[in-house]
Amino acid sequence: MTSLPRPTGPAKNLVLFIVLTAGIASGITIFSSASTLVDWIETATNGLFLPILLSLIVTFLLDPLVQIFERAQISRTASIFTVYFILLVLVMLLLVLIGPPNWKSMLDALRADFPRYIARVLDYLNNLLASLHSQFPYLEHYDFSGKFRHWAQEFLGLILLETPRSALRIGSLFLLVPLFSFFFLRDSRRIMRSLISLTPNRYFEMVLDIYDRVSWQLAHFIRGRILEALIIGTVVWLGLSLTDIRYAPLLGVIAGVTNLVPYIGPIVGMVPGLVIAMVDLGIGPQFWWIFCVYLLIAQVILDNFILIPILISRVSDLHPLWVILAIVMGGKLYGVLGMIIGVPIASAIKIALLEIRQYRSTFNSTREILLSRRN
Amino acid sequence: MDPFWSNIFRKPGYKATLAYFLGTIPIFANLGRRELGFLEALVHQRNYHPDEVVFTEGDIGSGMYIIRSGGVRIEMKNEHGENRVQANLEAGDFFGEIALTTPHPRIATATATEQTVLVGLFRADILDAVRKHPAIASKILLGLTRVLSERLQHAGLRLREQSFSHLDTSRGEHS
Repeated sequence: MTSLPRPTGPAKNLVLFIVLTAGIASGITIFSSASTLVDWIETATNGLFLPILLSLIVTFLLDPLVQIFERAQISRTASIFTVYFILLVLVMLLLVLIGPPNWKSMLDALRADFPRYIARVLDYLNNLLASLHSQFPYLEHYDFSGKFRHWAQEFLGLILLETPRSALRIGSLFLLVPLFSFFFLRDSRRIMRSLISLTPNRYFEMVLDIYDRVSWQLAHFIRGRILEALIIGTVVWLGLSLTDIRYAPLLGVIAGVTNLVPYIGPIVGMVPGLVIAMVDLGIGPQFWWIFCVYLLIAQVILDNFILIPILISRVSDLHPLWVILAIVMGGKLYGVLGMIIGVPIASAIKIALLEIRQYRSTFNSTREILLSRRN
Repeated sequence: MDPFWSNIFRKPGYKATLAYFLGTIPIFANLGRRELGFLEALVHQRNYHPDEVVFTEGDIGSGMYIIRSGGVRIEMKNEHGENRVQANLEAGDFFGEIALTTPHPRIATATATEQTVLVGLFRADILDAVRKHPAIASKILLGLTRVLSERLQHAGLRLREQSFSHLDTSRGEHS
């Protein structure tokens, strides 16, 4: 093999110049094409985030049920169909027995009522401001109520605009979510196996072991969170149904979903219920009952003393600072939805990191034992 | 037919499948065809280059390997820290089975001697199978126990022979 003569002097500089220019040019090309690529991917996957998220949730919830049937020597596909069928029958039965909660009329009524609630809150705020102004005159030129009214009108406009669109989206969800979760349930093992088999031989055993631990912990955590939200939502719904308050099912859903966010979520989930109760029922025994349902029964007794100790390990607890960061970052990425799922995802990442660290520490300690035994 | 196309469209006979191969291993000798099919979905097939290390002494072990083709050299360090070859394994042999039940550090180093295909059966998958398909999993574990106890008995016999012979020689020295 003959080696090329090494360039010297100006030739060397020229080579260096050409190489650098080519490097920079290709770097810029890759960067710009990558950003358009990211754009494409973003456009293509735009509406898919919510269906895939919901399908994953459904998959995590149904997997234990499917396993029960699988244990009885039924093939996995047949087990999934059986579970689907049973769920369908249950939902039908529920609809026949209780009748569907009338979401549409409830939404229409809410749309009509919303300005009224806002007006009452504005009144209240104005009264508060008046007393504030009398005490702190220099706050006079601060237009709190104007700002609030502006924000509320924007929010109402958003609801009016989004409802027909979201109705379409919900229709597609009913089609997509069962389909996606069927394939997730059937093939998730195969998908994960083929992903894991990509790791190099040297790290294969370690990756497989860590994946096994992390996936078990994560499944446990996610299932726990979803069950917690479901139970809290149901309890709030039932508790509110005892009073004359309207929109009890809707408020239950809000309470359950916001409960996914620690610290801040329950408070935010409480606000709509309390506002509606204050405006419609006035501050009386019913208002205080609703307050008790939210705070004492759902949060303190049920969530803190019963659900969290049973369903969720303390491992997943996040420092409040991380919670705030996760909410802000989630909100930047995916709006309200991102705010809600940001914290669970952050907890999931924490669980994964902890498991890996624990695995490594047991690895090191057993290795030390082996070495010391040999010496 | 053109050999190229016949290669692509050739239907592999049962003897060419991984399930058949697994059935020839003593541990899985008692499994039926359906159970072997289940096992086939449980194991991982890995390819190794010549002189590629499968695991080294002291690694955390998480499962056993069966040699489908090729060969593996098992080495242990002696007290001077030199590698001593303990065994050369061939297709159909298996190794590392101790780690299948509990996380143990590997007590030897395994290296592929040629282009080798290994079939790995790992603790994580076995535990998963125990949860989901207890009947088949217990059959697999029973086969493993049988082979392990046979080996233990063999080792015990050899140890006894050695200690007796040691006693004999020491008695000879005294008299």
